Amino acid sequence: MFEQLVGKLPVGICIVNEAYQVIFLNHFFLDRMPSQPAQDYISTPVTTLFPEQAKFLKRRIKSVFVLQHPSFSYWQQRPHIFPFKSSRPITGEETQMFQNMEIVPISSPEHGKLACIFLQDVTAQASYYLAQQELAAALKKEHEEQLALIKKLDSAQSQLIQAEKMASTGQLAAGIAHEINNPIGFVTANLDTLREYGEHLIGLCDALHNRILAHQEAPPIPVEQLLDDYHYDLLKDDMPPLIDESREGLDRVRDIVENLKKFALEDTGGWQSINLNDTLDQMIQLISVQYKTPVFKVTSHPDVINLYCEPGSLKQAVMNIALNAAQAIEGKGFVKIELRQSAVSTSIKVIDNGSGIENQHVKKIFDPFFTTKPEGLGQGLGLSVAYTAIEKHQGRITVSSNLGKGTVFEVILPLIEPVPET
Amino acid sequence: MNSVITLSEDQRDALQELMNISMGQAANSLAHLIETQIGISIPKISSVTPSELFTMIKQSNDGFYTRQSFLGDIQGEVMSVVSHHGLTEVASLLEYEAPLSQADTEETILELSNILAGACLAGLSSQLELVTNLNMPTLFSPNKASFVDLNWQHSLVMEVQFDIELSSFSMRVVFCLDRPSLIKLTETLDELLS
Repeated sequence: MFEQLVGKLPVGICIVNEAYQVIFLNHFFLDRMPSQPAQDYISTPVTTLFPEQAKFLKRRIKSVFVLQHPSFSYWQQRPHIFPFKSSRPITGEETQMFQNMEIVPISSPEHGKLACIFLQDVTAQASYYLAQQELAAALKKEHEEQLALIKKLDSAQSQLIQAEKMASTGQLAAGIAHEINNPIGFVTANLDTLREYGEHLIGLCDALHNRILAHQEAPPIPVEQLLDDYHYDLLKDDMPPLIDESREGLDRVRDIVENLKKFALEDTGGWQSINLNDTLDQMIQLISVQYKTPVFKVTSHPDVINLYCEPGSLKQAVMNIALNAAQAIEGKGFVKIELRQSAVSTSIKVIDNGSGIENQHVKKIFDPFFTTKPEGLGQGLGLSVAYTAIEKHQGRITVSSNLGKGTVFEVILPLIEPVPET
Repeated sequence: MNSVITLSEDQRDALQELMNISMGQAANSLAHLIETQIGISIPKISSVTPSELFTMIKQSNDGFYTRQSFLGDIQGEVMSVVSHHGLTEVASLLEYEAPLSQADTEETILELSNILAGACLAGLSSQLELVTNLNMPTLFSPNKASFVDLNWQHSLVMEVQFDIELSSFSMRVVFCLDRPSLIKLTETLDELLS
């Protein structure tokens, strides 16, 4: 009965002796080998019957005899030890059988030490596994394509952010243009007055000339009266300050344009060390041109703070925060910027006593495209741009706000040492 | 496995001695097969939590990992850590031809694990007169999360290191037993000691 059972097992069984000679093969083996009486295979070395993997088989069988301990082979490393076909020869696809093999030490009184080869057909599992792997590879490819798409979206977003930058620069320029009109206004008015005064002066000179011609001998010329008639004292007093004021107005125009060039239009690529105090003073000048009601103040501990940063994006970040602070103020109010530098970090606090941020909005203010401004007045990118810029500096930005009382933004930048040029 | 199973000093000494002999036999078997000198460390026996077991196994990123379960009178798993370094030389001792393909490398690792784990287990089992059967080894990559999720708190582990001086190759074998097997093991040790 046991012989029948072993013969019919759905597992290949091949027993060899220490000379690698076959002493038993079950049906699993015989059915898949060239048909000849089973007896003919007996005593033939297994390495002769299966020359394809002779070296490997011999080594593994030897190891079993030496160590008296099972040896395993797995289809993933060595799929086809024996040249057997799998699946259906008529109705299905004929493929090579994927095999797991285990060789175990046994013994018998007749033959002494023996090695028993168990062979398992794992084609179904293997093809399932391989199909899964193909699927995984397809998924991976799709995933990579999605990543590429996300990258594209990212670049689209940064283009939008760039557009917002341009828009805020434009807004600034509009404010500045407006402000340039003011000095130009009074310079024009002053010059008009000056022209009038000039006409008076010419009149005075003409009158003096005529009188002197007419009264060459006597009576004496009424000089005092004449000077008085032409408000000569006023002319004398008013003309120099008028000219000075005009001069100052022109200086302001020049400064504003200069600041605009320095701050907004300057394209400083790359990291460099900047004087943070100067930068913020410039910025405050620019913002105060546009927003006149708040009182702007900058404090600094220590008095001079130098910061290694990427000036373009950092200025943009602080500018956006400060602009929001200025916009939050209706009527009287202040925007205070506190700078602090320690051995490890630099803190920039922007404090205002404006309208504050509603609690439900606080979480969203750094989201791109989030805005509470009426449609068309803001793209909702200002703080998102600031956030990205601070992140780029490995810093963090926090906000605390009290509705109706004001808002505090704090930017903390870790100290970053300049990379020495190589 | 909610409580810590502790071994008495005598039990620990006995187990250590048995391990020592088994490991020696394992080293001998491998030495015989590949005809080279093999060194072994003193076996370490300790009780560990899953995350301690993870730390014990994953000491460096430079290694291949295999695991292999065994059934019988005592049950558990053997994990092996095989060094990258010197693997090619060891594979050539096992008659693989350089350069090794991916499949050759994997087969070498599995074979080495199987030989050493099998020899250790066989030695231990025969000395304790227990019957054990080792299953097929598989490659795996340990990750902390799945270790922490294991549903036991403490396990007894036995660890030993093999070195092949010729090629600066080393390999660590860690035995872990489940709770019923630990009870069985301590009982068997007590019988031996009495």
